[in-house]
Amino acid sequence: MSDQYLLSRDHLAPLLRRLAKEYRLVAPVRNDHGDTMFQEIANPVATVPDLESQPQNSLKDFLFPQQEHLYDYRLDDAGGYHFQPPATTTPPTLFFGVRPCDLNAVLYLDVVFLPGRRELSYRRRRENSLLIGLNCNQPFADCFCAAVNAGPFLEEGSDLQLTDLGRDFLVEVGRAGGAEIIRRWPHFFRSAPAEERNRRFQLYLEARGGFSRQVHADQAIKRLAADTLPSGVWEELATRCQDCNGCAYLCPTCTCFTIVDQPQDQHHGRRLRLWDACTATGFTAMAGGHNPVQPGKDKLRQRFRHKLELDVKKHGRPSCMGCGRCVGACFGGADILHFINLAGR
Amino acid sequence: MAGLATTFGSGAMTNSINEIEAAEVILVSGSNTTEAHPQVARRIYAAKDRGAKLIVIDPRRTAIARLADLHLALKPGSDIPLINGLMKVILDENLADDLFIELRTENFFALRDYLYRLDLAEVYRQTGVAPEELRRAALLYGRAGKAVICYCLGVTQHVCGTANVEVLANLAMLTGNVEKEDAGVDPLRGQNNVQGACDMGALPGMLPGYQPVTDPEARQRFAAAWGVEPPAWPGRTLLAMTHGREPDSGDGPVSKSDSPAAKPGGAGGADQPGQPDPASGIRALLIMGENPLLSDPDLNGVAENFRRLDFLAVSDIFLTETAAQADVVFPAACFAEKDGCFTNTERRVQLISRAVAPPGQAKSDLEIIAALSQQLGYPMDYQSAAEVMEEIALLTPIYGGIYHDRLAGGWGLQWPCWDRQHPGTPYLHKYYFTRGRGRFAVAEHQPPAESTDADYPLLLNTGRVYHHYHTGSMTRHSAILNRECRHPLLQINPADARARQIAGGEAVRLISRRGEVEFKAELSQQVPPGMVYGNFHFAEAPINQLTTTASDRRARCPEYKICAVRLEKAGGDEGRRP
Repeated sequence: MSDQYLLSRDHLAPLLRRLAKEYRLVAPVRNDHGDTMFQEIANPVATVPDLESQPQNSLKDFLFPQQEHLYDYRLDDAGGYHFQPPATTTPPTLFFGVRPCDLNAVLYLDVVFLPGRRELSYRRRRENSLLIGLNCNQPFADCFCAAVNAGPFLEEGSDLQLTDLGRDFLVEVGRAGGAEIIRRWPHFFRSAPAEERNRRFQLYLEARGGFSRQVHADQAIKRLAADTLPSGVWEELATRCQDCNGCAYLCPTCTCFTIVDQPQDQHHGRRLRLWDACTATGFTAMAGGHNPVQPGKDKLRQRFRHKLELDVKKHGRPSCMGCGRCVGACFGGADILHFINLAGR
Repeated sequence: MAGLATTFGSGAMTNSINEIEAAEVILVSGSNTTEAHPQVARRIYAAKDRGAKLIVIDPRRTAIARLADLHLALKPGSDIPLINGLMKVILDENLADDLFIELRTENFFALRDYLYRLDLAEVYRQTGVAPEELRRAALLYGRAGKAVICYCLGVTQHVCGTANVEVLANLAMLTGNVEKEDAGVDPLRGQNNVQGACDMGALPGMLPGYQPVTDPEARQRFAAAWGVEPPAWPGRTLLAMTHGREPDSGDGPVSKSDSPAAKPGGAGGADQPGQPDPASGIRALLIMGENPLLSDPDLNGVAENFRRLDFLAVSDIFLTETAAQADVVFPAACFAEKDGCFTNTERRVQLISRAVAPPGQAKSDLEIIAALSQQLGYPMDYQSAAEVMEEIALLTPIYGGIYHDRLAGGWGLQWPCWDRQHPGTPYLHKYYFTRGRGRFAVAEHQPPAESTDADYPLLLNTGRVYHHYHTGSMTRHSAILNRECRHPLLQINPADARARQIAGGEAVRLISRRGEVEFKAELSQQVPPGMVYGNFHFAEAPINQLTTTASDRRARCPEYKICAVRLEKAGGDEGRRP
């Protein structure tokens, strides 16, 4: 990232208010129940983004939603289906306060959904979105992004990248959308002197030292690649996994889905795409009842091999971004951190 | 619940769920915790990670039993001799907490004398648990500094359910595992708000807050608030309503003086003016959020009784099997569509807020009850759920300090919470038991109501699976949950299946003295030989056509866990599909 500016903390709210006139604004918001979630901010004056906590959901909720209405269908008397895509509008959306792990996750979703596939709704949403990232000066409790090279600071991929310097934010310009914001509303930004750029590096080093967990993802990746996992790892995980699929639903990079028809009456219905998970036994079950994945033995093998072995082979990096959401959500201690620890045993 | 009420004085989890994580020994009895209470199971996993020992008592080898350090696979219905055996070993090994017993309990000598006479060889015959395993379990539990007992419907759904709970309470008191943090006796409640329903007096003999209807002072307080005096006699039990009569007890015919309907404490029973004759039939029923045509034992009896009713009204979020039979159906709002509170298994009252509007004409339970009451000539003018909560706080001492404004923005409050300053109670019975002293109740083995014979050589146990909830009125509408579990499966031990030439996946017919139902066979080592296991989630295989109405004499909880059955291949010569 080349151009660097300073944005005064006092001017952040006015900038968001300005941007919200052009974009649907999505940012982490702490709700009445004390939960911080990425959600749409209708009124950026009344609602201040919460930049202190990790949002429980990720941008996956917006770009690849839990339920996608694919078609309305009509069933004729001969049993034939006639499909009609629903009318949709995709408002230009600005995602603000996106942490490096979540931003890297969006880049991964791009790899899955954009190239060569006719995944129109994802493409539409993605092409209509701007990403303003925020580097993590202090990792959260379950985070281990540094261990999978997805943070705590982001080097590229966002439109604008912010670093909290205290009174100011350092603003780095990434992709074209970010440069456009600087060009259209230059009065919010002033150019950053060299010492502020150096402070960014200092903060980066401090953040790297701020992780509360020692996670040896490299070792797990190596052992998976060489097929030298300690024995009993999959069995132990299978005993502990309680089938809730929470890890996959919360994971910013899990993209499994299923397609179901929801009849409205005898002749009409909606075809929906829903999130699914490879941890669910039925995901691999075949019509005759045979299941190539033995639930009692290796039901988590696909999940972790996909993230830490196959994606490394295919894309050169694991598709776990170290956000730690599954660590906090897992009922039984069968999350990816637990796996990495078992694999390194 | 009745079992803990007689021994401790309060029928609820004595601990908070989080405390389980810090226990040194966890004894799980009659609970498929992993599938039925995953949020509790996760604490057990965490406790194991910290080095805690786990003992599981269950005839089935469930996931939690596989995790256990010690799995006592008892014969179904032999809980009492098993726990008595554990207590005898603890006593013999001098592991009893004498100081606790002396200071905090009563009736210990009766128990001690009974245990001295107990023959461990007899216990082995009754339970099938080897003496050395029994001894290992007793030493583990008895030596623990902090031990927690978690139990569930595998303990209570027996003809001796109340006594089963009492012996577990005895075990905790004998070793002093009650009054302190991270130690106690924890019934795991099966629904998000079943504790709240009990707290609010959805029990035959109780006003809200476990104030008995037979207490004239309590009645007076409610009469002053409501302008109507509540009846002085207990209402009918669930089975008495759904079957139109008091069911049989396992220990033979119930004498009239034993039945709770005719035993309202010192207040005079059937002599009360205006009290209906307990033998008279019910003519109209209002059912809210319950599906007895799938969930009650001996379904044919329920269906027959419902046909005799003059009027049936059902309020539910979906058109259940029961609602489909109703004269009037009230479409109800679901949890996300209404305001109010739920009280969970750890006595925690939590606020829920309406997130989305109810669809169509659906209304919240409060609106339905208030509108109905209005029609019946008793206007209720509550402006909000918060106003109802204020009345609860006024009339229910254990909820005395619980108001919506205190619940908002937090994790709720655990009762008893006596006033606005009270922080709630994470664990019960500190310094004194609710009833004063804890009472040791001596119990002897009581055999199940039905035993196997030549015609019905297998025992049927019923329960739940992970992916469905109760009668499936909600979960069977979910495409993914249905994909995960779409067939009514019957677990059969491979040895029993081989003897009947039944293969996995094959259609089988299960027959009891009351009915017959078809399942798909699932060969599984989870069940021991001689036992089959099924669930009651599937309307197409209503397993409760088979179960018995024999029920616990005191709590009136039916013996869902044991009935005698015969297993056949379906579609044979005598195959007759309904």
